[in-house]
Amino acid sequence: MRGILLWCLVSVIALPLLSAPPKDTLIIGARTDIIVDLDPARAYEVFTNLIIEQYYDALVNIVMDQGEVVAKPGLAQSWEVSEDGLTWTFHLRRGAKFHSGREVTADDVIYSFTRSLSLNFAPIWILSQYVPDPSMIKKIDDYTVSITTNQPVAELIIASVVGFQGICSIVDSELVKAHATEADPWANQWLKTNDAGSGPFILVEWTPNERIILDRFDEYWAGPAGVKRIIFIDIPEPAAQKLALDRGDIDIAWDLLPEQVDLYRSTPGFTVIEGPSWSIEYLAMNAGKPPFDNPLVREAIRWAIDYDAIIYGIQKGAAMPGQTFIPAGMFGHLPETPFHKDIEKAKALLAQAGYPEGFEVEMLTSTHPRRVAIATQVQADLAQIGIKVNITQMVSAQFYELYRAQKHTFLVAGWGVDYADPDALAKPFAHCCTTGPEAPVRQLAWRNMYADCETTALVEAAAKELDANKRRAMYEEIQRRILHNGPYVVLYYPLNQVVTREVVKGLVLNPMLSFTEFWPVVKTG
Amino acid sequence: MLGYIARRLLWMVLVLWGVMTITFFVARVIPADPVGAILGPQAPPEAIERERERLGLNRPIYVQYARYVLDLLRGDLGVSLRTRRPVLQDIAQFFPATVELALSAFLIGIVLGISVGVVSAVYPGRVIDHASRVFAIVGLSMPAFWLGLLLLLGFYYKLGWLPGPGQLPYWMPRPPRLTGFLFIDALLAHDWPALTSYLKHLIMPAFTLGWISTASIARITRASMLEVLREEYIKTARMKGLKETAVVMKHAFKNALLPIITVVGIRLASLLEGAVLTETVFAWPGLGRYATYSFLSIDFNAVVGVAIFTAFLYAFCNLVVDLLYAYLNPKIRYV
Repeated sequence: MRGILLWCLVSVIALPLLSAPPKDTLIIGARTDIIVDLDPARAYEVFTNLIIEQYYDALVNIVMDQGEVVAKPGLAQSWEVSEDGLTWTFHLRRGAKFHSGREVTADDVIYSFTRSLSLNFAPIWILSQYVPDPSMIKKIDDYTVSITTNQPVAELIIASVVGFQGICSIVDSELVKAHATEADPWANQWLKTNDAGSGPFILVEWTPNERIILDRFDEYWAGPAGVKRIIFIDIPEPAAQKLALDRGDIDIAWDLLPEQVDLYRSTPGFTVIEGPSWSIEYLAMNAGKPPFDNPLVREAIRWAIDYDAIIYGIQKGAAMPGQTFIPAGMFGHLPETPFHKDIEKAKALLAQAGYPEGFEVEMLTSTHPRRVAIATQVQADLAQIGIKVNITQMVSAQFYELYRAQKHTFLVAGWGVDYADPDALAKPFAHCCTTGPEAPVRQLAWRNMYADCETTALVEAAAKELDANKRRAMYEEIQRRILHNGPYVVLYYPLNQVVTREVVKGLVLNPMLSFTEFWPVVKTG
Repeated sequence: MLGYIARRLLWMVLVLWGVMTITFFVARVIPADPVGAILGPQAPPEAIERERERLGLNRPIYVQYARYVLDLLRGDLGVSLRTRRPVLQDIAQFFPATVELALSAFLIGIVLGISVGVVSAVYPGRVIDHASRVFAIVGLSMPAFWLGLLLLLGFYYKLGWLPGPGQLPYWMPRPPRLTGFLFIDALLAHDWPALTSYLKHLIMPAFTLGWISTASIARITRASMLEVLREEYIKTARMKGLKETAVVMKHAFKNALLPIITVVGIRLASLLEGAVLTETVFAWPGLGRYATYSFLSIDFNAVVGVAIFTAFLYAFCNLVVDLLYAYLNPKIRYV
């Protein structure tokens, strides 16, 4: 016993203190506690979907190509639509293999979609709004599948829906069926922690709140990935991620704050990788409650905000200016930014609305430091036009409870794109014809009690429009209406930012962060 | 004696029931929706309703309570809303790391605390006594997360002498999980690189957590020793010509031990409290970090489960300490 103790002591002191990570292993420090279930049918958080993206494959790949997001062939080599715009036929790639060694066939596609629709978990609406029933997905032959939609839909919509890694990831049907039980016919319990994919990596280990290990799948149809192993390590604190990156213990720091990222721009040995993100930071005003039921008050607020102070002061430039709800780079974006800080104009509008002396209002924010900073800036800006803003901070669980129940008056929040088509934004931001519980879409417009049946009809028509030019014009019109009448003040579009050691090459961030691929990434040292 | 133990156990059950009931209701009356938070801000309302139904959260609160109590009697702490696994399974996964950390911290606390306390009692008013007082006060007043960050900054970031957060280097595979205790698993697997790396990773968090205990143990040891050293029988021992070490260790220390045991017992349980912060700073995958994550996401079942478990440990440690009294001081008898 004494010998063992002595040996431990000696080796603790004597062994080299930090041995370097292996060259072909990519180590990423990130906040991984959000991951609770790796079953693709349930994944609905950016980081969970990002992990799933690495070891599953979908029919279509949504990738960033020369600054644009495009749909590229994935497990489906090509696809076409019927004349009525209702039936999509996908031709599968031959020879694509699951990690089990089985070939991917039409049966797996049908099983995967049926499974997601039957499990009916939170993200299923993305698929079921157009394909509500499993019987709408049919096998033509072993390598051909047809999907019928309940209304004509534009190609980008259907491609981005079936390209959604998560509910539309293709699982190895034989393997999943082998783990099904009577109580759990879709093997949700098993797939929570196991791999049934055909993607470029294989899931080797997931220890919740600790780490995720993925190994390269050498038989991937597009060729083996650039690194042999990826390890995602749970480091929740940005400051701790920075320490680990500086010490060379990790190769990529995933969640640094903008001010930390800035420090690396001039530090040799590191690379800042950034790109647009398809998300929106905004203020919401409840149009069902005074004083925000008056459109002139909402317009006055938009003229009173110092957008530059928020973008450059708080966000340290890690943002793209923009005031419409479809972010830059996305199909249909309306590049209009009419508002800037104009106190006189804001005051005049407020007087015209019947509030010459201003008013007092409560503003809700989550405890996220960035949101609190934005709320404080807005408080200072609005004080200049006589509006007294009282800020109330609360944890997200409390914040969204109030927001979802239409109980707020004024708040600051953010929104990310669910799938790579403007429909994914027009629905939440502009689809609301009634503010009661019977509304079919109860998202942002509904939460802010902004009912506009004409715009709602336009949102529905735009989704069905097959002519791209007409469709673009429709989205521009919807954004223009919301820009001046809607219940939002769009502040900016945040940038996605990560910092890597210089030896990491080939990482491109997808504007929808969860679609970022590690397959092309290599380590040069 | 047996009657005493039986009564204490009955009290323990009552305390646990109280802790469970209070945390159960407190967790549920706060105006927040954990399901909405877990599914994310973008989940449509229908999805939230479906999930609430699945978890039984749409039932009246007294029904939820009754069900919870019935499950608890069967040893079922429910399913965590956040990890979607049985809370008991989560506790079983994360508790070993906390035990290893707490025991190491405890060892540091006892060895350092008692040595410092004895030395400063033997040399009262001298430099070493003052130095130990400063050491104790700093240890008591420095918050664990602050001390942890300072140590990380100094010994990991600046000097590079000790490894950073976590239990192993990030790239190193964990030895097969047999007992859940990394130290034992590494020994069983003969995985020496993992064992040595683990011990190095343990130094800073164990010291951070141990320092607080060191401080209070040192203070109580000093006070108790000073009192005993003034006793007549110590004078007698000295007059008999016994060596000073024999006087201090054999006669004084043994008799000064009783109050020390009380503090040590309480410290052992409260190490769990400190572990919440220390584990968060050092990314130590233990129960403290699990509790932090559960609180932040208002994970009802996990919060109540951790509270019951912690209360049980507290009550258990106190019981053991009380029984130790009788063993150490034959004058004390329980009826």
